[in-house]
Amino acid sequence: MTTPPQASETFSAYDLLAYADKLRPQLGENFRDTIVNSLYSEAEAIARRAVHQKGDRRYDLDQRIDRIVTSPIFGLPIMLLLLAAVFWLTIVAANVPSQLLATALFWVEAQAAALFDGLGIPWWITGFIWHGVFRGLAWVVSVMLPPMAIFFPAFTILEDLGYLPRVAFNLDFLFKKAGAHGKQALTMAMGFGCNAAGVIATRVIDSPRERLIAILTNNFVPCNGRFPTLIMLATVFVAAAFPPAFASFAAAGAVLVVVLIGIFFTLVVSWALSRTVLKGQASAFTLELPPYRVPNIPRILYTSLIDRTLFVLLRALGTAAPAGAIIWLLANINVDGVSLANHVASFLNPFGLLLGLDGVILLAYIIAIPANEIVVPTMLMVYMGTGMMTDVGSYDSLRTLLVDGNGWTMLTAINLMLFSLLHNPCGTTILTIRKETNSWKWAGFSVVITLGLAFLVTFLTASLARLLGWG
Amino acid sequence: MENYALWLILALLLLAAVFLPRWGLRSLVRRRLAAQQRERVEDALKTALDQQWENRPLSLRGLADYLHLSEQAAQRLVESMQAQGLLSLRGSDLALTPEGERTALQVMRAHRLLERYLAYEARMPLEKIHREAHRMEHTLTPAQVNEMEAAMGFPSRDPHGDPIPSLSGQLPAGTSTLLTEWKANLPARIIHLEDEPPLAYAQILAEGLHLGQVVRILEATPERYLLSDGENEYRLAPAVAANISVEPLEETILTGEGILPLNELDHDQKAEIVSLDEACQGFTRRRFLDLGLTPGTIIFPELLNSFGDPRAYRVRGTLIALRKEQAAQIWVRPTTEASA
Repeated sequence: MTTPPQASETFSAYDLLAYADKLRPQLGENFRDTIVNSLYSEAEAIARRAVHQKGDRRYDLDQRIDRIVTSPIFGLPIMLLLLAAVFWLTIVAANVPSQLLATALFWVEAQAAALFDGLGIPWWITGFIWHGVFRGLAWVVSVMLPPMAIFFPAFTILEDLGYLPRVAFNLDFLFKKAGAHGKQALTMAMGFGCNAAGVIATRVIDSPRERLIAILTNNFVPCNGRFPTLIMLATVFVAAAFPPAFASFAAAGAVLVVVLIGIFFTLVVSWALSRTVLKGQASAFTLELPPYRVPNIPRILYTSLIDRTLFVLLRALGTAAPAGAIIWLLANINVDGVSLANHVASFLNPFGLLLGLDGVILLAYIIAIPANEIVVPTMLMVYMGTGMMTDVGSYDSLRTLLVDGNGWTMLTAINLMLFSLLHNPCGTTILTIRKETNSWKWAGFSVVITLGLAFLVTFLTASLARLLGWG
Repeated sequence: MENYALWLILALLLLAAVFLPRWGLRSLVRRRLAAQQRERVEDALKTALDQQWENRPLSLRGLADYLHLSEQAAQRLVESMQAQGLLSLRGSDLALTPEGERTALQVMRAHRLLERYLAYEARMPLEKIHREAHRMEHTLTPAQVNEMEAAMGFPSRDPHGDPIPSLSGQLPAGTSTLLTEWKANLPARIIHLEDEPPLAYAQILAEGLHLGQVVRILEATPERYLLSDGENEYRLAPAVAANISVEPLEETILTGEGILPLNELDHDQKAEIVSLDEACQGFTRRRFLDLGLTPGTIIFPELLNSFGDPRAYRVRGTLIALRKEQAAQIWVRPTTEASA
């Protein structure tokens, strides 16, 4: 076909495609520019005819707000204050519902176990189902659900207001130096709620390279599941070293320092990745700063509770059930009169001591891969020799158990905080990374870099502490 | 008794490891060999095509040298390619059959599309794309190549300015002149930077020359070429300058005259977008166009980050933040009226 096909002619599709193929080179390199140009001028012409504008007070207000929230003096303080408010609200308000949920679910466990015993079902079936699988699920639900159900809506309100893009705008200078995207600040903030949700949130970063950096480093911000551990350690060990009047400030300060260390590692690892594995030029940094809006409450509730909370919870439950089963089995299968858990812990102990930790802590981290929430209960289970995950009533008895009973020191506490901050992503997050990057390679890589760093850093602090005679 | 069972299981596992259809050692080795064979055949085709276009004869020894093969291995390769109808012998010289030329063009097509993808979509540094594309071109199926071409909007040139063959093997036409044959002081646009040999290409890149740049020759002596793009001067050895091809400017191209990159625009100074830089391609260019940064649009810097970068610009009623490097790819002309 050498002439344009006419409507009256008959021709095969193949001919038509061949003709198109011949014409294509004539389009020139940037014919897309022409298409977009004509689309925009057409749209403009329509808008000119149809839209009339009288003054613009909203616009002036937006400008005034923007000047304040991005100003050199108020910009960063406002941001810190808002984020701190969200965290405070999450931690304080989640306390009571968490307790209630735990009480209710463990009551169910006790009743069901009693019922099974009454029916004469062998103890190991009862134990496996109720003290293993169910207890794992119950623990994850009661610790995970309330904070997420508060954090995500609060965070989504900031998002819906239009404030979050301004945060990315303010902080971009940091991320630019690290070879990353300013929007990574948002995915990190989301990571405080849940790293899996943070990984999903990286979809807002439209260039693949920067997005991958954000995914691989998201785990360096401690999530809701790790905060209780950090707070517990800060209260029991750091705060105890200060006079009572300053104790709570010292605890809060210690947690803050851990968070800052996490942000430091995020930036350093981003920097290293963008210069090695993910080398390339910075992609288009384009960030829309939308006009401020009144938050749409129903939509916020939907996206935060259904899309985020429920989604993450379901994924976590899928991994928590087998973990509960394995934990129970380890605690209840005895070889030579000692539980399997204790065997493994004593095997891991030399290695744990090298890192300033101990075998039980390492064991807890290995079998609690599905969810960080069950690390401490698992640890306590092994220390106390109970057959199921356990909690200790007060901080005082916890201190007695850990320090007097199991030889914890300040070094153990500090290294456990560092290990908790840096160690591999939880099972849910690993699965999410695999899903978002569509590759087991990147999911595995995220485990390697975090775990490698965790081992390296704790080993260095432990060695340093011992060299100086603090261990 | 126990021992027998153990040995049996071990033997079964070993058998499985070797003969498993997909993951067994045997099929792994077989696939690896097939991939290697494909790579050699395709590299041989490309070499033959290059030589044919340069009107240079290609001997068996020449081919062996190009592919870093022993002469016996090259001999076996040529024999198998003759059997497939890709190569024929003319005297002692190798020549592509029509089928061979068609296949070679498809390999070249995959290579150049990959280079373009790596440079403009994955934003890999230019000096790395050739090697990466060379590695990946042998792993793609024809369907994947077509998909990639469609996704990038049927581009006609790779990042070095070389034409990309179409599916039917057609090369986009275009006339270019070597820089060494261009008249002094007449502005010209760079349309091709030869990436072989890599050393010369690295020098061109290190000087900061890129496709689409408008340059003039200030001085041409047997020792050196001195180029200028109005702002910077570039020094090249004549042998390196011969790796650059240029074309005359279209009449509408504006050089200088009140045009500046967007990042140098004063705060609250309104300006009209003149064009997007030629060096801005692929992903970045599409993004800019999507945001409505089209020629003729009024734009002005409205919000400054406290650290100076990025800056937010008001365009078409929305506020868009751009980093310095991105804004530098947008050419604007200030309008006389200052913004409110």
